[in-house]
Amino acid sequence: MTTAAVTSTPSAASSPAPQVRPPARSALRRASAASWYHVAMIVAAVVWLLPMLWMTSLALSDNAALTRETQFLIPRDITLDNLLGVFSVGLTSRWFLNSAVVSIVTTVLTVLLCAMAGYAFARIDFRGKAVVYASVLAGLMIPKEAMFVPLFTMVADVQMHNTYAALILPRIAAPLGVFLMTQFFSKVPHEVEEAARIDGAGPWRTFFFIMLPLARPAMIALAIFTFVQTWNDYLWPLVSATRSEMFTITTGLASLQGNFAQATELGSLMARGLVGSLPLLIIFLLFQRHLIRGISMTSGGK
Amino acid sequence: MATIQAERAVATARASRGGKSGLRYGIAFIGPFVALYVVFVLIPVVQAVVMSVHDWDLLGHTREFIGVDNYVRMLWGVDITWSMGHLFWWRLAVLALAAVVVVSAVRRRRLTVWNAAGAIGLVAIAFALGFHPGETGFWYDPRFWTALQNTLLFTAVSTPLIAGLGLVMALALQGGRRGARWYQMAFFLPYILPVSVVTLIWTYFLSPNQGLLAALLEPLGIAPIPWLSSTDTAMIAIIATTVWWTVGFNLVLFAAGLQDVDASLYEAASLDGAGPWGKFIHVTLPGIRHVLLLVMVMQVIASFQVFGQVNIMTGGGPGSATDVVIRHIYQTGFRDFELGYASAMSLVLFAIMLVVSVIQMKYLGKDESK
Repeated sequence: MTTAAVTSTPSAASSPAPQVRPPARSALRRASAASWYHVAMIVAAVVWLLPMLWMTSLALSDNAALTRETQFLIPRDITLDNLLGVFSVGLTSRWFLNSAVVSIVTTVLTVLLCAMAGYAFARIDFRGKAVVYASVLAGLMIPKEAMFVPLFTMVADVQMHNTYAALILPRIAAPLGVFLMTQFFSKVPHEVEEAARIDGAGPWRTFFFIMLPLARPAMIALAIFTFVQTWNDYLWPLVSATRSEMFTITTGLASLQGNFAQATELGSLMARGLVGSLPLLIIFLLFQRHLIRGISMTSGGK
Repeated sequence: MATIQAERAVATARASRGGKSGLRYGIAFIGPFVALYVVFVLIPVVQAVVMSVHDWDLLGHTREFIGVDNYVRMLWGVDITWSMGHLFWWRLAVLALAAVVVVSAVRRRRLTVWNAAGAIGLVAIAFALGFHPGETGFWYDPRFWTALQNTLLFTAVSTPLIAGLGLVMALALQGGRRGARWYQMAFFLPYILPVSVVTLIWTYFLSPNQGLLAALLEPLGIAPIPWLSSTDTAMIAIIATTVWWTVGFNLVLFAAGLQDVDASLYEAASLDGAGPWGKFIHVTLPGIRHVLLLVMVMQVIASFQVFGQVNIMTGGGPGSATDVVIRHIYQTGFRDFELGYASAMSLVLFAIMLVVSVIQMKYLGKDESK
């Protein structure tokens, strides 16, 4: 990703857009102002990404070279050993798999259940709906990070720690997801549903074959948001998964940072960080519009 | 006539779904979500309240009812006294704030219940700040106060920084220029990294003998600074890391908000002779008021729950310079196995967060009367 951002920015800068014709001098001044703008923004963006570029450079450097020097941006004794070694040494590949299972299942279930609930809250009238919806919205105020102690004892009572279920289930009930989906479904015109009903479709058919396809943009945004949040979750996996085989990549990497001897394995450590962020970087590259849309939705809804 | 009847028919058709079948489908659609929501969100809150009035040991399985003892242990101590001079300037500042609230409300002739409650609350805080251990006294849990103080400091510094920087970046990218999307991506990118990768990068980036920062500062004549191992700079380093990590999220929120500001208002302001600053104050800021509110509330809530960066980068140290409330709760529960006391602290943190966000919404959002 870092390379994409960096290689693409100069191309944007090399063609400042002087669209204005009339007086040549003001067009010139405008063009030079535009290029100064781009120079400033590129410098800012590179400075901002400097720590990540450095990590990439260390991950590509030979571990032996890193014992002598680490303060450079061009990889020394460039090698792929660190990146390849990530999956052959230690538990990193297991953590990666755990994160993948937990994040994918959490995302699919969250989106499905939030869409169903959102549809019901927006479109089906039933007694007590207002009370239930209000109590779900009240859940937005409950800080998840602060409620891990009772959640821990609850899961311990049924002896479910160190299981995927314990890592997944508490994350699904996301009030924000229901709020977003309810907002979305309440904007769909009533005629759509009535047409479906006249065709003889029941609520389930209407939901799965008409409403869900309509809601695709909102669902993709919610899915990506959920995936990133779940992959990056730290505190709950830390208390819930105590056996190292059940760590997620986030808690696993955190546990390594204490154990690694200073600089001897710095390249491997950075390579693990890079690999651990890889799914997110790929998602970001493919779906960044949807991710940004998902974030904007959280503000646009109010 | 016919149309009215048709409309009525549609209305009754809609209403009929509110009957028995509506309830059946309603339960079917919301059931799975609500079941998980009740079990994993609502019951834990109730459970926390129950646990907080017990001496609840994780290992020994002793569950003895002790009433408010956990809260007393958290908030009180031996030989606590109240004196006028303790934290005098801080209390004076809080009282001044209360006076501002009352005076501004009176000048606008709108002394609402909220203004009054806010002022009374501030006076109460100023009063409470007068409590401190006497000469032979001590707090039962001094670490709670240190952690709370550090959390408040972190929140008070990082929230305006992140909101301000996010807004500045969004303004710099405003107007749909070429390449703006790429710059936005670059600034947003760190947000998607897991906390353990962010700490991995920054722990080494800030390292005085291995880090890139020291090498970059050397030509400027700045000697390597042991950011994370010095009590003066550790919190600064944690805040800088957090700003770098999360500012992109707020940049996106602000960018979305700026798009919604009516462009004709800018033109009107130009006609009135407003400069860039005038436009910012009179058009932009009012236009993005609800986004600003959202960012501030979300940031404060997130900052009160700061844990990962601190736990991995400094472990609360050096000394207790970066100890925060969630870390104290975590260690009380999972190192000392005192779950009851940990729950009591969770609830107090929750209560503080709730009060702060309600205050923010009432004061920042007060003119949003639609």
